[in-house]
Formats: sequence, structure tokens, C-alpha cells
Amino acid sequence: MKYRILAAAAVLAAGSAFAQAPNDAQIAHIVVTANQVDIDAGKVAEKKGSSADVKAFAKQMVTDHTAVNKQATDLAKKLGVKPEDNPTSESLKKGGQDNVKKLNGLKGKEFDKAYVDQEVGYHQAVLDAIDKTLIPNAKNAELKALIEKVRPAIQGHLDHAKQIQSKLG
Amino acid sequence: MRLASPFVAAVAFAGAAALAAPAAKDTVVMDGVAYQPATITVKRGATVSFVNKDPYPHTVTSAGNFDSKEIAAGKTWKYTAKKAGRFDYICTLHPNMKGTLVVE
Repeated sequence: MKYRILAAAAVLAAGSAFAQAPNDAQIAHIVVTANQVDIDAGKVAEKKGSSADVKAFAKQMVTDHTAVNKQATDLAKKLGVKPEDNPTSESLKKGGQDNVKKLNGLKGKEFDKAYVDQEVGYHQAVLDAIDKTLIPNAKNAELKALIEKVRPAIQGHLDHAKQIQSKLG
Repeated sequence: MRLASPFVAAVAFAGAAALAAPAAKDTVVMDGVAYQPATITVKRGATVSFVNKDPYPHTVTSAGNFDSKEIAAGKTWKYTAKKAGRFDYICTLHPNMKGTLVVE
């Protein structure tokens, strides 16, 4: 399990390993991809989760991250920015697909634990990426403001996931 | 130009008045995953409006005292404070969101 969390963290930390700092079009793409990865995992957990807490959390992730993506997509349109694919987005997508594949092979308590552990690691990694890569490099004030406003929601998801993690034991 | 000054002054005054206008009484706004104000004091019997301006649902939950359940984006939950006391509450969905309702 642990390696997967580390993998997610490594992928997002790779954002800071950009040969050049990511531009706004790439940042917008990273934001949308990071949200989509969590929506995809949430959709699996809504169906396969065994505890009520896990199912409710998964539903919340789908709702919250879908809302953030709508905001990000609307802003990109308004600014005339076309989100641009980049290595960080690619790795995020690949990591997300691997995670979904792994989750699909699990069930019951094992599934719940794997999903929640992944969510804790993922949201921590997203927070780090927001602080170290996305906010420092975002040039457009509105894009930066959107990321800054989303940050406490990500922190909330992390705290919530940790609560469930400790209950699952 | 002479006419401009009073006009500008009037506009400036109106602007200042709008800025100085207090937030709606007994209202807590949820914005940016925070309750604003974080602490609100009301008289017993008052109805407090919790307005969700975020794009995602929140809750106003004080274990054993009151629980809004999910307040959808853009919606308002009203709570009539019948019991005096100091009530700490959180959003169960984003537990880093904390507020306090003081009922006098």
C-alpha cells in the first residue's frame, strides 16, 4: 500500500522537477487532471466501498472535485487558456489508472483501507504540489486565486480521510 | 469641473456607506472552506442563517446540539437558537472548518 502513496507523492512532487516552471496552461491542465483522478477513484469507491463512511466520503470527493473542475474549466475558457498536457499530468493520469485497476481487484475492508490510504496520500501530495509548484508558478492572478481558494478544501479532504483512516484501524 | 466635485464626493460617500454596511445580521457565510465570521454571538431565540457560497456542500454540526446535514452549494440553512450557551461546530465534510455560535 505504502508504495502507492509514495508513487502519488512522487508524481506530484515531479511538478517541481519541471525543466522549466510550468506555465499557466500547464498548471490548468494539472489542476483538471488531479481532480479527475480523484473523481475516477471516488466513482469506484462509491460502488465498491463497504463501510457507510467510505461510500459517503467517495461521494463527497466526486461532488467536490467535480465542482472544482467546473470552476477551473470555466476560468480557463474565460481567460482563453487552453489547458496544455505535460509530463506531470501524464504521470498523474497513469498513477490514477493504476490505482483504479488495483482498487477494482479488492473488496470489503481491504478495499476500504486501500482507498482511504490512497486518499490520504493523494491529498497530502496535492497540498504539497499546490504550495511548492502551482501557487508559486501561477502567473495569472485569477488562476492563482482559484488554487488558493481550493487549498483549504483539499486540507479538509485530507483531515476527513485521516479521520476515516483511524476509524478503519 | 465645478459640478464634478460634489458628484464625485456623493459617489465616494455612497461607496463608503456600502462598504461600511454591516453583514446581514445573524448570518454566517461559508466561503473558501471557512465560516465567516468564525464566531457569532446572537440573542436567544434569534434565527441564524448559514449561507453556503462555496461550490461544494458543507455542514454546520455541533455534536449533540445541532446538525444541518449537507447544505448544498448556494443554499442556506436556518437555525433558531433556543438554548443559551457556547456551541463549537464543524463541517463534518471538511473538519478543518470550525466555528462557534454563542447564544446569550
